[in-house]
Amino acid sequence: MADERPNEPALDATFAALADGTRRQILARLAQGEATVNELAAPFAISLPAISKHLKVLERAGLISRTRDGQFRPCRLEADRLDLATAWIEQNRRIWSERFDKLAAHLHDLKSTPTSKGRLR
Amino acid sequence: MSSASTDLGEATFSRIYDAPRELVFACMTEPEQLTHFWGPVGISTPIQNITVDLRIGGVFETIMVNDADGAEYPSRGVYTEIEPPHTLAWIEPDIGMTTRSTFLDLGDGRTEVRIVQTNVPSVFRTSEAQAGMASSFDRFAAHLSTLTA
Repeated sequence: MADERPNEPALDATFAALADGTRRQILARLAQGEATVNELAAPFAISLPAISKHLKVLERAGLISRTRDGQFRPCRLEADRLDLATAWIEQNRRIWSERFDKLAAHLHDLKSTPTSKGRLR
Repeated sequence: MSSASTDLGEATFSRIYDAPRELVFACMTEPEQLTHFWGPVGISTPIQNITVDLRIGGVFETIMVNDADGAEYPSRGVYTEIEPPHTLAWIEPDIGMTTRSTFLDLGDGRTEVRIVQTNVPSVFRTSEAQAGMASSFDRFAAHLSTLTA
């Protein structure tokens, strides 16, 4: 989980890819199923080359894949990669949430028995 | 009482404590206090595993220990900003992540702690993130609620 395999793109690249609203909308569309470049471009008022550029970024980030053959090369969401990217957000949030909870309990202890947990400098 | 939000590459956490600012700041900077809360659920941070050299360029090192199997999760930071009792910041040079805490005196004996982290994505590869993954949140959720009641 935490160790990346060598053939996987750096998670930083994944996050850079996710930082763009258009690309997130593309991923949302692909979450409903495979789609061609033309289908993906339809909702957007930007050119096909611009969409292609976004798709290249998403592909390099491991978030989508495209079939190698076939005229339309439909795009597919790589859900595992997206899960990986969102997992650390949850972990990091959880660590601080639990740390904060423990700090609240500790502060409570300090106030009720000021000397039992070590004297404050 | 608490909130958390995560933008891409940046994370913000805040919590209001019913304690004076000096005390909350001390908790974040003294090993004898940090040992009580630094590890997430299921993870301990023995006091001998905490190094605080509270000066700019000084180290802030912790080795958290998994209660279940003894696995160790070292973390190394370097202080970049120390202004008691309102600001504390460090960078973890290995991953480039910065953690900046501000302590706001709410004027009624309470203190709001706000933590902003940048360069967060790399945190996924750190042992600290593994520690978070290892904690079995569901099992301890009930226990937590009693602690914070």
